[in-house]
Amino acid sequence: MNRQRFVAFLLLMIIHLPLSAEIEIVITSGMDSARPVAVLPFTWTGRTETPPHDVASIVASDLRRSGRFNPMDRHDLVQTVDNYAALDLEAWRKKGIEAVVVGTVEEQPDGKVKISYELVDVFLKPQGTQGVANLTPNRLDAYAVTVDMNGLRFEAHRVSDRIYFELTGMRGAFATKLAYVSVDKSLPKPYRLMVSDSDGFDSQAVWASNEAIMSPAWSPDAKKLAYVSFENGRSEVYVQELFGAKARQKVASFIGINSAPAFSPDGRMLALTLSRDGNPEIYILDINSNRYSRITHSNYSIETEPGWFPDGQFILFTSDRGRGPQIYKQHLASGAAERMTWESNYNASGSITPDGKTMVMISRVNGVYHVAVQDLETNNVQILTKTTLDESPSLAPNGSMVIYATVYGNRQVLSVVSTDGRFKARLPSKKGIVKAPVWSPYIE
Amino acid sequence: MSISKFMKGLTVACSIMFLFACGGQEQEAVEPVDVVEPSEPSAEELYHQQMIALAETRVVYFDLDDDTVKSDAAAVLEAHAYVLRQDANLVVTIEGHCDERGTPAYNLALGERRANAVAQALMLNGVSSSQIKTVSYGEEQPAAEGHDESAWSMNRRGVINYEG
Repeated sequence: MNRQRFVAFLLLMIIHLPLSAEIEIVITSGMDSARPVAVLPFTWTGRTETPPHDVASIVASDLRRSGRFNPMDRHDLVQTVDNYAALDLEAWRKKGIEAVVVGTVEEQPDGKVKISYELVDVFLKPQGTQGVANLTPNRLDAYAVTVDMNGLRFEAHRVSDRIYFELTGMRGAFATKLAYVSVDKSLPKPYRLMVSDSDGFDSQAVWASNEAIMSPAWSPDAKKLAYVSFENGRSEVYVQELFGAKARQKVASFIGINSAPAFSPDGRMLALTLSRDGNPEIYILDINSNRYSRITHSNYSIETEPGWFPDGQFILFTSDRGRGPQIYKQHLASGAAERMTWESNYNASGSITPDGKTMVMISRVNGVYHVAVQDLETNNVQILTKTTLDESPSLAPNGSMVIYATVYGNRQVLSVVSTDGRFKARLPSKKGIVKAPVWSPYIE
Repeated sequence: MSISKFMKGLTVACSIMFLFACGGQEQEAVEPVDVVEPSEPSAEELYHQQMIALAETRVVYFDLDDDTVKSDAAAVLEAHAYVLRQDANLVVTIEGHCDERGTPAYNLALGERRANAVAQALMLNGVSSSQIKTVSYGEEQPAAEGHDESAWSMNRRGVINYEG
C-alpha cells in the first residue's frame, strides 16, 4: 500500500471507529486483587502496514474488563517480543508480572489470517522433566488458528477465553455476543435491536422499527433471538434467525399482551407471558409442534418474566400473587410452586447462574432498584450495585458477570457488575439510549 | 355509585356557575330592559356541555405500582362514557403506560391492568365492551423524558384514543 492510500485507509479507520463501537466500556470500580499480567503486541505480517485489528489490545481490554487482571500499559512493557523463546523471564519477574502473552498474526496467501499465541507463567518453577528435556517449562498454553480476516476480532476474544481459563480455571465468556435495544429518536426508525461483541464492538442492527422493541432473548445455540415488537401497535413475540436466510417469524400475537420470551436450555421450548385468557400467565410454547401449555393459573395476579433453571425441570417467574412482585419457582412436571424471595417488597427479573447456586434479580430497597444476588442455599441477599434505576439483568454464560440497564447522567445506559459485586463498569452509548441487554450463550 | 353522585353534584355546581356567568355577561351586554326570559339551558344541555368539555381530557394518571382509577380520573372517565353512550359507533383504544421504575416485563403487565381499570370504569358507566379496546405499552413510551417524580407522574397513565 503506498503512502497516500495508507493515509486514506487510516482516515477511513478513524471515521469508521465510532460506528463500530456504539458502546464502549468505562471501568468504574476495580478489584484490588486484579493480577498483574502483560500482553505484548502481536507481530503482524501481511499486505497492509498494520493489521486490521490490534489483537493484543483486544485481549488486554478483555482481561482488564473481567476485573481479575491488570494488564500492564503498553509503554511500560520491558520488552516487545512475539515468542516464548525470546522472553526474558527474569526481567518480567522483576516487574512483578505473573503471566505474559506473546503472539503473531500472519496474513495467508489466500487472504485468511493465522493467529498464534503463547501464554507464559513467569514464576512457574520448572517441574521434574523425567529425563525428557522440556523446552517450554513455563508455557501454560499455545494455540494457532487460521480464520477469515473478518473473523480476526472475534478470534482475539477466543484467545482471551483461553488465557482466562488457564489462569482462573473458569471458562471465559469474552467470545460471546450481546443483544440490546437502542433508541435514537434522530433516526428514521428509532428502535433498533442490536447485536455486538461482548465488548460492545462490531455492533449491528438486526431489526429496526418505528415502534418499541423489548425483551430480547437468545436461543441456546446463539443463532436466534426472540423478542417483543410493537410494530403492529401492540406487543407481539417474534423469533428471528441471525444467520443464513435470517428468517423472522411471529410466534405469539394473541389478544392482550405477548411478552417476555425465554428459550428452554435445550432450545425446544419458549416460555412466555400471554394475557389471552384475561390475565398475564406463563405459557410454554413447544416450538416444533407450535402447541402452547399454560403453566400458571393465578387469575387475579400478574405472572411474567419466566426463566429456566439450568436443568430445564423448573421455571422461575415474577408474580404479585402475594401482594407486590416476588420471584417464584415452579416444578414443570408437578406444577408445584414455591416463593423464592422474601427480603424486599419488590423482587423481579430473576435468573439462575449456570451452577444453579445463585439467583440474580432486581430488588427494590428503600424505593431504589438495584441488581442483587441471592444465595439459593442460605437465601442471603447481596445488593451488587449503587445505581438506582436498574433493570433487565442478564448473566454472562460463565456466571461471572451481570450486564444490566440503568440510568447514568440522566440517560439510560448499560452497565456490568461482577456477580461478587467487586468489579463494575459502564458501557455508555455514544448516541441515544440503550437498554434490555442480554448476554449470549457460549458461541461454538 | 359514588361516581354518579359525585357527577350529579358537579353538574349542579357547574349549572350554578354557568348561570352566574351568563348573568354577568348579560348585565354587561344589555342594560335594564324589560325582558323576555333568555331561554335557559336545560339541565340535560348543561350536563351535555359539561361532559363534552370534560372528555377533552384524554389522559388519566395513576399512583406508583397501582391500577386504581383516582377520583379526578373517574370524573373524566364518566364524561368519556357519556360521549361513547351517545354514539354506539364510536370506538376507543385505551393505552396503559407505566413509569420506568421496576422491570419492563412486569410494567407491561401493570400497564395492561391500568388499561383494563379504565375500560372497567367506562363499562360501569354503561359503555358497551364492543366499543373498547385496550393496549399496554408498559414503560416503553414515556410521555415525559427524565428520571424523576415529575416525569414519572406524567408517565403512569391511561390514554383514551378515539378511533377514526
